[in-house]
Amino acid sequence: LDIKYALEEAIHEVQGVYATQFKEYIEANSDHTVTIFPFGTLGESADTTELAQMGGIEMVTASPGFTGSLIPELNVFNLPYVLPEDTDVLAEFFRSSPTIHETLAGRYNDQGFEMLSMYPEGEVVMTTKQPVESPDDLAGVNFRVMTSPILVSTYEAFGATPTPLPWGEVFGALQLNMIQGQENPMFFVESTNMYEVTDHITFTGHNNFTTAVLANKTFFDGLSEEDQQLMRDAAWHAFEYIIEYQEGLTEASLEMILEAKPEMGVTRLTDEQREPFRQAAQQVREVYLAETGDAGAAVLEGFEADIEAARAAVAE
Amino acid sequence: MAQELATWMIVVMVGLLLLGFPMMIPLLAACFVAFFLYLPVGPEIMVQQILAGIRPSALVAVPMFILAADIITKGQSATRLIDLVMSFVGHVKGGLGIATATGCTLFGAVSGSTQATVVAIGSPMRPRMLKGGYKDSFSMALIVNASDIAMLIPPSIAMIIYGVISGTSISELFIAGVGPGLLILVLFSIYCVIYAVRNNIPTEEKASWRQRGKALVNAIWPLGFPAIIVGGIYGGVFSPTEAASVCVLYAIILEFIVFRSLKFSDIIPIAKSTGMITAVVFILVGAGAAFSWVISFQQIPQMILGALGLMDAGPTTVLIAISIAFFVGCMFVDPIVVILVLVPIFAPIVNALGIDPVLVGVIITLQVAIGSATPPFGCDIFTAIAVFKRPYLDVIKGTPPFIVILFAVSISLIMFPQIALFLRDLAFR
Amino acid sequence: MSDDGDKGPDRGPATPPHAGMPGAIPPKSEFKGPLKPLAYLDRGLAWFEAFILSAGVLLMATNSVANVVGRFGFGRSFPATEEINQFLVILITFAGIGYAARQGRHIRMSAIYDQFSDRWRKVLMVVIALITAAVMFVLAWYSFSYVMSVYNTGRIAPATRLPVYMMLVWLPVGFVVTGIQYVLTAVANISRPDVYISASVIDSYEDSETPV
Ligand code: NA
Ligand code: NA
Repeated sequence: LDIKYALEEAIHEVQGVYATQFKEYIEANSDHTVTIFPFGTLGESADTTELAQMGGIEMVTASPGFTGSLIPELNVFNLPYVLPEDTDVLAEFFRSSPTIHETLAGRYNDQGFEMLSMYPEGEVVMTTKQPVESPDDLAGVNFRVMTSPILVSTYEAFGATPTPLPWGEVFGALQLNMIQGQENPMFFVESTNMYEVTDHITFTGHNNFTTAVLANKTFFDGLSEEDQQLMRDAAWHAFEYIIEYQEGLTEASLEMILEAKPEMGVTRLTDEQREPFRQAAQQVREVYLAETGDAGAAVLEGFEADIEAARAAVAE
Repeated sequence: MAQELATWMIVVMVGLLLLGFPMMIPLLAACFVAFFLYLPVGPEIMVQQILAGIRPSALVAVPMFILAADIITKGQSATRLIDLVMSFVGHVKGGLGIATATGCTLFGAVSGSTQATVVAIGSPMRPRMLKGGYKDSFSMALIVNASDIAMLIPPSIAMIIYGVISGTSISELFIAGVGPGLLILVLFSIYCVIYAVRNNIPTEEKASWRQRGKALVNAIWPLGFPAIIVGGIYGGVFSPTEAASVCVLYAIILEFIVFRSLKFSDIIPIAKSTGMITAVVFILVGAGAAFSWVISFQQIPQMILGALGLMDAGPTTVLIAISIAFFVGCMFVDPIVVILVLVPIFAPIVNALGIDPVLVGVIITLQVAIGSATPPFGCDIFTAIAVFKRPYLDVIKGTPPFIVILFAVSISLIMFPQIALFLRDLAFR
Repeated sequence: MSDDGDKGPDRGPATPPHAGMPGAIPPKSEFKGPLKPLAYLDRGLAWFEAFILSAGVLLMATNSVANVVGRFGFGRSFPATEEINQFLVILITFAGIGYAARQGRHIRMSAIYDQFSDRWRKVLMVVIALITAAVMFVLAWYSFSYVMSVYNTGRIAPATRLPVYMMLVWLPVGFVVTGIQYVLTAVANISRPDVYISASVIDSYEDSETPV
């Protein structure tokens, strides 16, 4: 059996590290093989997700940020200040949340997927030309976001001018000052050299980039019981690996950036400074709730309860 | 299996192509071979990839630039630009020739395709050159080859498509095309002077500064196009797609309101023809995306590169191989199809060697432009046959010196990439 | 200033013919006699496609310009712009391929084809038209099945909140219409003496019918 597995990122980035762990586990514990298709080889996220849905490939990494057109409730992952800002709580939440492993997993089932894992890829930071300490500092800033209504509303609420732009133009547009800011997880800021064209990194804690590992359901259901368990074990093995790998990944990326560009400004907003951003985020919830209705509200409430539980578990 | 599939795909594609099928069919039929006989997935994926091919939002710039160029081709902008150039260079030896080449360059700053440039500049300039004592073979060869410059000077449809399928910044590609474009203009102009001296072509009357001032005033409006595109993009005002739509607005204001050269009802047939050309290009982009999906799914590029011995080659060898492949391809097939088929084949090695994708894009665009003006089957030649109503042999008779010049530029570009990258680095690094 | 009397706008062809096109746009021809209903079908389709094409392009221009104005005038971008343009791109492409087939304007490499005698070109054109039609019909079938699968997933475009399948219904329609155009091209070549590159555009004339 050869499992074809497509990613949204390059092989050396977080999804690639996860997929490599998954592959090694499967190949060490069975006769099956895993072929990884990194970003760009089989199309964009929307294409590879659909490809896995139709059974063209067996597995795919599909970020909820992209899959929102399929399952609207997944937009909850784009909402600012929903996911816990503390990394231990975050990991525990992804490990244990019934909302993820039952509710959302069921929604993936409806769409022909078996959800094998969901994991955080790192805190989303803003990189800008001017320091950002409050929403006022974002006034008049053309901020590049993906074309998602939630993300557009988020940066509108934060006071910026959201500017959707294809990823290929972002570097040049920052260089030419057409835009003055963009957001991404730290490792991506480092690997795509975004720091070369911006001068300040701001940790606002408003989000953590999340991704889901999905298998085609027909394929998964057709596997023997042992093979199904093997797939789940491999997914958990890779999950724990990636959580550990991420400890310090943000820090390591930051170190590399500061080495390349010592004058880079780094701001970690204090709890107090985050407060006005949290306030602004409230109106984005309204956009989300209007878009997703009762199902969306249930997921959001479920997240809040699960996060409380995770916080309590970590505190023990 | 991949080898057998690759062979069949090439046989089907080349065979149908040579028989004269519409060019989407060779691409689609090659995909059918793969999906029906070899791949574990159904042709629905092919449909998905056709859609994925035309989905990127940057592609919207293509119909917008075509529409803007279509509007001004029907209006007065081209004539005003030509008058401006003539008032400055008309009196020098070879002035008409230089004016034709410069006209192609200026018009190319609005238009993204060489074929539109052959029509817009070639139609008015050829009779003038004939009257001015130039041989028809020289005039036509100059027009066909100088129109190459339009593909290198922004905007450029070839560059937009290369940028979209390779994920390269279109803004950077655009500015990197300016250097080689101007270099070709200078070399062609020098050749025009030599030609005029050797053939004793009489010079035109020298325009007075007053006439020049008047021509400049008349041309101020059309000169706004390069200001919008180059100024707008590099001033950090617009993305390339936004610049394209602003050009449409500007073209409408210019030709419909300021010059009043078109009636508002004229916009309908212009939009219709833009839509049709867009469809013809985009169905190829879609079919090309399906084709490139099939070959990457089967890892065919690595196989072909390996067979050509390019997997261990150095950057210069790879760039030469790319130049040759694109040049030869465009002698036979439409440039867009060549870009769609060959870019994914060379992508793995370009990425592996870390060659600047902007440099690769400029080299490809140059080869594509040269190839389409080169006998036997370069498509600009057929445009010229259609527009000038002259037989094939007359159209190609004067091309050799121009092709020699373009070869020299190709070699210089590989040896001195700064010709292309200088302006890009100035703007972006 | 040199002036050869080239005053006023240049009224040359707005869109240069592609490689493989014969020189001037040849006169149109019509189906006659028992094939008359085909002519009505043909004309109706042509009108419809032309309408969609011009409307699509003008809407795209309006939509894109509005977005730029919004960004500069009001400091905001409209997330729906991109989705609307994507829809229009699909609309223009799949309405346009049928229209281009009707006008004989699809890009071809006709250099070898052009070397044959009229009789052989006619034969070759029938083969080309029928195979092309077959490819179009097969694609129409698979795009229908693709649209159905998108319909079943219930995907919603995030900004416009419209079902995604509604953007895609143009695929099977466009492929069917294009396929029909190529069938008509084959019929024209079989039923009439000239060589036709589309049902209504003559590639070259048989001596017996119309003189050049
Ligand atoms: Na151009
Ligand atoms: Na050319």
